[in-house]
Amino acid sequence: MTFAERMLRIDRRIIFLLIGLSTLLPLLYPVGLAIKISPEVRGVHGYIESLPEGSVFLLSLDFDPASKPELYPQAVALLRHAFEKNLRVIGMTLWLPGTGMADQVITQVARERGKVNGKDYVFLGWSPGGSSVIINMGQDLYKAFPSDYYNQPTKELAALNGVRSLRDVNYVVSLAAGTTGIETWYVFGKDKYKFELGGGCTGVIAPGLYPLLRSGQINGLIGGLRGAAEYEVLIGQKGRAVAGMDAQSATHFAIIALVILCNVFYLFIRTSRGQTGQRS
Amino acid sequence: MPFEALLGAWVATGLTLFIFTFLYKDNPLFKLAEHLYVGVSVGYTIVKAYDTVVIRLIYEPMVVQGDWSLLIPLGIGTLMLARYAPKAAWMSRIAFAFIVGVGSGLAIPRVISSYILKQVEDTIRPLVSMAQGGALAFSTNILDPASNLNAVVLLVGVVSVLFYFFFSIEHTGPVRVAARTGIVFLMIAFGAAFGYTVMARMSLLIGRLTDLIEYADPGYGRPSLWLLLATITTLVVWSLRRRDEHPPEG
Repeated sequence: MTFAERMLRIDRRIIFLLIGLSTLLPLLYPVGLAIKISPEVRGVHGYIESLPEGSVFLLSLDFDPASKPELYPQAVALLRHAFEKNLRVIGMTLWLPGTGMADQVITQVARERGKVNGKDYVFLGWSPGGSSVIINMGQDLYKAFPSDYYNQPTKELAALNGVRSLRDVNYVVSLAAGTTGIETWYVFGKDKYKFELGGGCTGVIAPGLYPLLRSGQINGLIGGLRGAAEYEVLIGQKGRAVAGMDAQSATHFAIIALVILCNVFYLFIRTSRGQTGQRS
Repeated sequence: MPFEALLGAWVATGLTLFIFTFLYKDNPLFKLAEHLYVGVSVGYTIVKAYDTVVIRLIYEPMVVQGDWSLLIPLGIGTLMLARYAPKAAWMSRIAFAFIVGVGSGLAIPRVISSYILKQVEDTIRPLVSMAQGGALAFSTNILDPASNLNAVVLLVGVVSVLFYFFFSIEHTGPVRVAARTGIVFLMIAFGAAFGYTVMARMSLLIGRLTDLIEYADPGYGRPSLWLLLATITTLVVWSLRRRDEHPPEG
């Protein structure tokens, strides 16, 4: 067996170890590689930046704990930005398993910024129906959510003063890990009730959302951990996402190197087999 | 540090390490974590759904606030349960008919408008622009999504991919060229999707490793280190016992 053949039959656990080390070492010893801001992330940031104080910002946390590493840092960065701009924040989720986590992130960032529940922000929680919830909110927000997550009647909350339906919301951002998510918010929300919509998503679903971005159906897109890191840089508060970027780059480099090596070994085997065939 | 934070750190670290042991091979620690994940997720979903739907959206408005009109949707919804009784199963069709009818009515116009009309509108862009003074201009900046060059690329991509999926005629001559071009565009799209998927999966690994590093802190009692040691020891003992029970042949 030649060296190339042995390499192509290598125990896959060695590859797992290599990838693990490529991720772990930069996390332990970061080098701080530069992070370039993409126009799609700037789109979301720029729109929030342009909103006047007291505007209504709805953040729909449409993900569950399985997507936490990518979308939680996005939620933290967006909430910090919104609270810093003194926007009235409405939090909610269309994903039932993510309800507790969504409440945790909003409460944590609000406490960090000294914001009061019911006055500066509100967390509506989850309501069944997915797209029907959005349609319902477009007609009457108080019918879709008669009470918030803490069972306070929504009609009595100061944070919702003057908000009757989605038409009174200035900006909606859906942080989505799949459907129900950004597309649902566009199809059943923005297209009908004419509010501005931005999105944040996991890396897996990002390529499928670019057509919405290019056609102007959403005005910005934060894609994966990389997008979260860009947002953290934009608001000048580096957090978990920025810390993970060195590891991300190192892992990608390792994967590219492994793909190239595999192809070289494969070509080498094919060439040597071809030569052996010609000789015989 | 509060007790619940400490407990959370130890449980999260243990379950993360147990799941990672699958990279070595399938083992009881992985199975324990996997079953716990499924059980806890289902339990959480049932409790939250019961609290939100049955208590907050049905019981409280009807019994506390006296809104008995909710009996209509409740009745239609309850018909779904008729599927469990073979003799009354036909009644569930009423509920399904309602759901399919309302769902289709709501979705079809919106989906056509959002996914087809808007996307077609964005695909059909002018291939040349009108510059100042009425002269025609062709912008070649490949990095600008709105440039004329990108409009041409978009048009070629859409048409050639449509040709690839056109199975009514044989792919020969110019049709073959167009279909082959379509394959190139499809490969680029698959490559981009795969690249994003790799990035996403690595982000998940980064997330877990970041937590493990955080929980290696003495403030938490170093659960990452102690549980890593315990996990490795358990795996070694399990492997040795398995070897004794099923010795390798030959």
